[in-house]
Amino acid sequence: MFGWKGKLLRIDLSTHLIRTEALPPRLMKEYIGGRGMCARILFDEIDPRIDALSPDNKLIFAPGPLTGTGAPAASRYIVSAKSPLSNCVSSPCCGGYLAANLKYSGYDLVIFEGRSPEPVYASICDDRVELRPARHLWGKTSHDTEEAIRAEMKSGDGLDNWALNAMGIANIGPAGENLVRFASIMADGGRAAGRSGLGAVMGSKNLKAIVSLGKGHVNIADVEGFRKAVMAFYQEGRDNGELRKRRRYGTWSLPGRANASKSQATYNFKEGYSEAFAKYEDPEVIRDLIRVRDEACFACPFSCGKRSRIKDTDYPLTAKGPEHETMALLGSNCGLEYMEDICRANYICNELGMDTITAGAMISLAMELFEEGHLPEREIGYPLPFGSTNMLRLLNEIALRQGIGDLMAEGGVAFASRYGHPELFMGVKGMGIPAWHPQAFDALGLQYATSNTGGSHTKSTMPFYEGRKDPARFVEFTKKDQDYISAADSGVLCWIIYHGPLWGEKLAEWLTYVTGVEHTVQGMDIVGERIWNLERLFNLRAGLTGKDDCLPPRITREPRVKNRVVQLDRLLDEYYASRGWDSSGVPTREKLQELGLEEEGAYVL
Amino acid sequence: MRIKIDYKACTGCKQCEIICSLAHTNTVNPWRSRIRVYVGEEFCLPVIAGPYTEAACNSKGITMVDGVEVDACVVCRASCPVKSVYKEPDTGIPLKCDFCGEPPNPQCVQWCAPNALTLVEDT
Repeated sequence: MFGWKGKLLRIDLSTHLIRTEALPPRLMKEYIGGRGMCARILFDEIDPRIDALSPDNKLIFAPGPLTGTGAPAASRYIVSAKSPLSNCVSSPCCGGYLAANLKYSGYDLVIFEGRSPEPVYASICDDRVELRPARHLWGKTSHDTEEAIRAEMKSGDGLDNWALNAMGIANIGPAGENLVRFASIMADGGRAAGRSGLGAVMGSKNLKAIVSLGKGHVNIADVEGFRKAVMAFYQEGRDNGELRKRRRYGTWSLPGRANASKSQATYNFKEGYSEAFAKYEDPEVIRDLIRVRDEACFACPFSCGKRSRIKDTDYPLTAKGPEHETMALLGSNCGLEYMEDICRANYICNELGMDTITAGAMISLAMELFEEGHLPEREIGYPLPFGSTNMLRLLNEIALRQGIGDLMAEGGVAFASRYGHPELFMGVKGMGIPAWHPQAFDALGLQYATSNTGGSHTKSTMPFYEGRKDPARFVEFTKKDQDYISAADSGVLCWIIYHGPLWGEKLAEWLTYVTGVEHTVQGMDIVGERIWNLERLFNLRAGLTGKDDCLPPRITREPRVKNRVVQLDRLLDEYYASRGWDSSGVPTREKLQELGLEEEGAYVL
Repeated sequence: MRIKIDYKACTGCKQCEIICSLAHTNTVNPWRSRIRVYVGEEFCLPVIAGPYTEAACNSKGITMVDGVEVDACVVCRASCPVKSVYKEPDTGIPLKCDFCGEPPNPQCVQWCAPNALTLVEDT
C-alpha cells in the first residue's frame, strides 16, 4: 500500500486489550486521514452527548497518508476527542517526531478507549505495543517525564542514544493529570497539541504518555515524480519572501504586524495595540534576545520553530517558542512588558502542560475582574492588576488546582460566572480566542465564531492573503479556507506553510504522487467540506446550536479598535447561506445529500 | 570530494535521512539511511556513515561540542556492532555513504534546505 499503512491500532485502556484492525477503504477515500478520519470515527463510535472526561470518550492520534513520506512539512499529527472545554469535537494538531514514528511503526490511527485503572504510558515500537506502569511518572513535569521515559527505555529496552533520540513522545504534565479543562498534550520538548483541553482527556484516561519508535517504511507510488516535485517546491520556497521570513523568525515577525494593523490582543482585548510591544516590533530584537537555534519539525524545510532560553537560573532549560499567540495572550493581553517574563510564563505552561492561549485568556480575565473590583484580593491571596508578574504564581496554582486556581481550571465561563461577569471572558464556546483582535478584521470574528472547535485560529487561515480582507468576498473565503484547512489537516500538512504563500494545489499534488490515487483540488474541497459538515453534525448532536456561534459582547458591541464592532449577525446569515445551511445553522438535507452524509444528518434533521 | 557539515545550520528536519533512504531503497525509512541527524537542545549533529568496524571500542573519550558533552558514539561515523544506526534494520547489513554514485551527486546535499550540507572539493 502506498502512503497509508492500512492499519489502525485500538488500545482499550480499561482492559489493557490491544488489537489492530484494517483501515476501512471508505475512510481513505472519503476522509483521507488525520482530522477527516478522526471526525468520522468520533461520529460513528461515541455519543456526542457524553461527558468528555468520562471513559466513554475516545482519544485518537492520527498521522496522515503524507506523514513520513518527506512531503515538505507533512510532519504533523491530529489528536482528536470530544473537548472538555468547549464540548465540541476537537482536533488540535502537533508537530515534532511522533507522527512519523507512528507511521513507521505501521499505524494510520491510534485509538485509545476507556480508562486505565492505574496510570500507564503506551509504548508503540513497530509490532511491539505495550501499556507500561506510570505511577512513578505521575506528577512529573513534561520535560522530566520525557527524560524518565528515555532513561527507562535505555535500561529496560537496551536502546542506544541514537534510538532514544529518534523517538517521538507525547505526554501530559500535572495540569492534564489534575483535569484542568485547558490542559494540553505536550510533545518532543515543548511542542503542543494545545487547544481544547485534550490533556485533560488523556489525564482522565490515566494515560501519562505515548512514546513511539518506528523502524518500518512508507511506500511512495511515483518516486521519481515525487522527488522532482519536492525539488521544484524547494525552489519555490527559497524564492518566496514570506517563507524566508518564516524560516528566520518563525512567528516572531507577527507582533510587529499585529501592532501595525491594531490587532494585537491587549488588556483582555480592550485594545488592539500594545505599547509595551513596540520594542518587539522588529523580530530581530526578539531573535537576539532569546533564540538558541532554529528547530524544524520532521521533514519540514522551513524550520519556523525557535528554541529559546533566558538568563535565569530558575529556568535553566531551553524552551520551544514562545510563539506569537503565546506572546500575545500571556504577554500583551495580560499587560506583561518584558519578553523574559513572557518566556517564564511560556515555560511554566509548557512544563505543567497547559494551553498558553486559554491560560492567557484566563489570567487576563482574572486581572480585569480584579481591577474592576469584582474579584477581591483576599480570594486570590495577592494583588493581580494587569502587568503583575504574580500571574506566574497563578499559572502554577491553576495547574495544581490550588486556591482560586481550582475554580479557574474549570474554564472561563464557570469562573467569570462565579464572579457575576460572564461577558468579560473573551472566548467562543468556552475556549479563549487567540491573539488577533477580531475588530481589526471582520473575517476573523466570523472565523472564531463559526469554528467547529471553539475560538480557534487554526481552523481557518488568517485574512492576510490574496484579497481576503475584501469585505465583499471574505465570507466566501472563510468558507473556502475552512474547507481547505480541514483537507490539509487530513494530509496531514502543516497549514502554516501551506496557507497564503503556497496556497493551492500542493495537497492534491503530493497525495497523487504518494498514494498513486488521482486527487484533484476540487476533490479536496469536497473532502474538506464533508469533514466540516460532519464535525458540525457532531456538535449539533452534542447539544450546541447556531446560538453558540457567537462572540463576546466586547467584540460585537464595544467599539474598541478602529472604532468599529464586528457585525456578526449579518455575517452569520451570509455565512450560513454560503454553506448551504438553514438560518439557524443546521446543514440542509440537500447539502448533506451532496456530501454523502444524509444518513448522518438523520440524527439532527 | 567530500560533504562538509555546518552543524550549526542544521535544523533537525531529517529530510536528508528521508531522501537518502528513498534514493537507495525506493522506500522511505530513516533507519535505512546513510546519514543520521542527532537532535540536541543546543544544536543538531548530522553524521554521515563511514566504514564498517567489526569491534566495539571500549575507550570512549569525552567528546565536547561547543562546550556540551556529547556521547562519543554519536559523533563517531563508523557502522559498528553496538550501534543501532547505519545498518539495515532487518538484516543488519552495514551501510556506508556512497555519495550517490559516480560522479558524486549526494541527494542529502540537494535536499538540505538550511544548507547545513555542502559538497566541496578535498583540500
